[in-house]
Order: sequence, then structure tokens, then C-alpha cells
Amino acid sequence: MTAHAWYIENRAAFVARSLEPGEERTFRDHLVRCDECPREVARLERELGWLPMGTDPVAPPPGFARQMAAEILDRPSRWRRHLPLAVAAGLALVSLGASMSARHEGRELRERLASRESRLAALEDTLSVLRRANMVLQTQISMNGHEQGGLLIFQDAVSHRWCVIVHGLPPAPSGSKYQFWFITETGMVRSVEVVADTRRPAFMTLPMPGVAAPVMGAALTMEPMANWSDEPRGVTLAHVTF
Amino acid sequence: MPRSKPPRIGDLDPSPDAPAGRRPLALAGEASLRRRLVSRDEQALVELIELASPWLLGVTQGMLSDPDEAREVVLEVFAAAWDRVDSLGDEHDALMPWLLRIARNRAIDRLRRRRRFKLKLARAEAYGELPPDRVRAVEVDEAAQPGWHVHQSVHAALDVLPPEQREVVRLAYFRGFTHSEIAKELAIPMGTVKTRLRLAFDKLRTSLAPIKDWIA
Repeated sequence: MTAHAWYIENRAAFVARSLEPGEERTFRDHLVRCDECPREVARLERELGWLPMGTDPVAPPPGFARQMAAEILDRPSRWRRHLPLAVAAGLALVSLGASMSARHEGRELRERLASRESRLAALEDTLSVLRRANMVLQTQISMNGHEQGGLLIFQDAVSHRWCVIVHGLPPAPSGSKYQFWFITETGMVRSVEVVADTRRPAFMTLPMPGVAAPVMGAALTMEPMANWSDEPRGVTLAHVTF
Repeated sequence: MPRSKPPRIGDLDPSPDAPAGRRPLALAGEASLRRRLVSRDEQALVELIELASPWLLGVTQGMLSDPDEAREVVLEVFAAAWDRVDSLGDEHDALMPWLLRIARNRAIDRLRRRRRFKLKLARAEAYGELPPDRVRAVEVDEAAQPGWHVHQSVHAALDVLPPEQREVVRLAYFRGFTHSEIAKELAIPMGTVKTRLRLAFDKLRTSLAPIKDWIA
């Protein structure tokens, strides 16, 4: 599982609004810079859209519809509410007219700009975790008794996230996977699968697990590919506690 | 969540407030209603409120346990619908799911922003689901209620879920609980909550797919 797999796994939970508030913010931030997830979230919203009608209807009081419509239609600042929009729309039209001749080039530039802004936002987000880190943990990764790269954890107490960097680790052997775990007072909590590549470090920005028990550390293990249990069963490669 | 005897709402509002075109509207379907809303037909807004408010009140009242606050949310939903209905897509974005989604999201935002969970649980413990004096008990007239067939279809989809999956759906979707709150409420691990929800939603997506229209 990659870091993106966490978002894939939690799409339905995001639609249901059952993620923890911090996780929900992280997911929402991700939607801005992901091509696939917004589309899939929209699809899930359509597919589960009728589910709230499982709730029993509640009878409104007599005259409810007329009264509510009157409140909506007679909002005193209705015209004024739309004034800024009208002004903005007017300015946009003027701007549009001025740029008609360069529209095609403009569109390309906007697309490139949006793409770069999206990438920049992702980088800034990662960087913000690194810069705000109030604690940095580092440990070696050991495989078969030999040092094999390292594990770095930057803890951001503001956004309650970690930036985890794994470097120098070869790709997992066939039939195995690298698994990152949180260590809490009540036990291990599965996090993401780490996809390793010796040529470049793996970066993961992770929200804290949604459990009441405080996080005390982290571990990296090599698990059988088929292990989806809540407990590690493989070999511990790295282990760090506060 | 489903009750065996839901309130009758089809014959409500027998006052002069009831619009003359209400029954024909039910036959006209959602597309017609949308077109009229986009063209700023104020009568269409009244009819939309008549048709949709029982369901939106059901959702918001069920989550907030506060009829006054539920009404405020429903007002916000219809105001948003009136202001933004022309931005809604055509084919895939049905009007009613859109309204329901706005209502749920706003109700959950309120729950979380105002940290009302403790109050809500205290009320639920003190009064049951809702304070009895504030629940309007009315006769059931299922056939007269637009959307009743969707309500039944959703119930059927929920009924075939294993009870443990149905329970987490009830808490997550109809009560606005987060994973950790569900885990605490049911005294089960978070991982179990996530698994049950994921399995339930996979089934519900398939079961609810055939539903296309709610007014007919």
C-alpha cells in the first residue's frame, strides 16, 4: 500500500463524514492536488446519495413551506448580497474581452499555472510539516543483521501529522511488503505500506491514528503480502519510541 | 433511522398555504421542478420545500436532536438550493441527493463546531431519540408521500446488511459519528469499525444504484 492507498481506502469514510476532523482536513487538502480522488468521491456521493432517505420523514408544521420560502425570497440583503458578485463578474467580463485575442495562450498558461500551483501546494504542505516539526526522530533500518538505510520522522504538533522519510531501503522481496506502524499505549496501529526504492527516499505525510491512546513511537516491519491484520506478524526492521 | 411506523406527512398542510399545483407536480417529476427553479419560479421553490422538507427535517432532526436547529439547517439548505440550483449538473447530479448531502454536511458541521455531541447524548438518554413533546405524531399515509418508495428501497438495502454493519452505518451516516466515536460507542476496535463501514458501503452502493427518481 502506498501513501495514496490511505486516501483510496478512506474515500467512502470521507463521503460519510466519519473520518476524524484532522483526517478529514488532510483528505480535503489531498483532493485539491489529486486527479483521481475528486472524481471517485463525486461518484461515491452519487451512489450513496439516496441513503439519507432511510431516515424517517418528519412532518413540518402547517404553513412551513410558505413561511420558509418567504424567508428565503425576502432576505433583506438579497440584492446587496449579489452586488460583489455582479461587480466581480463585470470585471471578469472586461478582463475577458481584453484577453480575447490571447485566449488560447491564456488557457494553456492557466492550466500550466494550475498544475504548478497544485504541485507547489503539495510541496509546501510537506515542507510545512518539516519546518514546523517540534520533534525529529531518526533510526537505522536493519535487514538480516545489516544496516540498510534509515528512518526519519518529523513530528508536527500543529497539524498533528508526521512526515516520514525512508531512505536506502531496497524494494520489498516478492511476496512481502514494508509496513509502517504507529506504536500507541494500547498497541500497534497499522499505517501505510512503504514502497521503497534505493535510488530515492520515500516521503509520506501521515495523520495521527484516530485512537484515544497517545502515540509513543513507530515501527517499520516486513510483512507477508497477505497480512492485513491489525497486528504485525513479520520481521521488525526499525523501531523508535519517544 | 427506520421506524416501523413513520409519521404520516402526505396530507399535511391542508391550510390555504398548500399550493394548488402540488399533486400535478408530483407527476411532473424532478426535471420539471429543476427547470422551474432555474428560471426563478418562486412557486417552484415553495413546492420543492413542500416535497423535500419532511426528508431534510428527518435527516437534520435525527442528527441534531434539536427541532429548532434542524429548521435552521433546512432553511440554509433551501436558500443554498435557490441560489445555486443552476450550478447543479444535469444527468448525474440529482436534486434530492444534492439537498440531502448539503443537509447532512451542515448538520455534521454544526455538531462538530458546537461540540454538541455530549448534549445530544444527554438528551437522547433523557428523552429517548427526541423529546416526546416535540415529535409530531400523525397518521401514516405511505402512498401519499412523495419519495416514500425511495425510503422503502433504502430500508430494504439496509435490512439485508448484517446487523453489525447496519449498526455502524446507522451511527456514521444517520448520527454523524466519527470512526473513533463509533468504536467507543460499540466498544470495538477502530479497525473493525472501518472494515464494517467499508463492507456496508460497498453493498449499499450496489443496492441503491437502481434508484433514479424520488418524486414519481
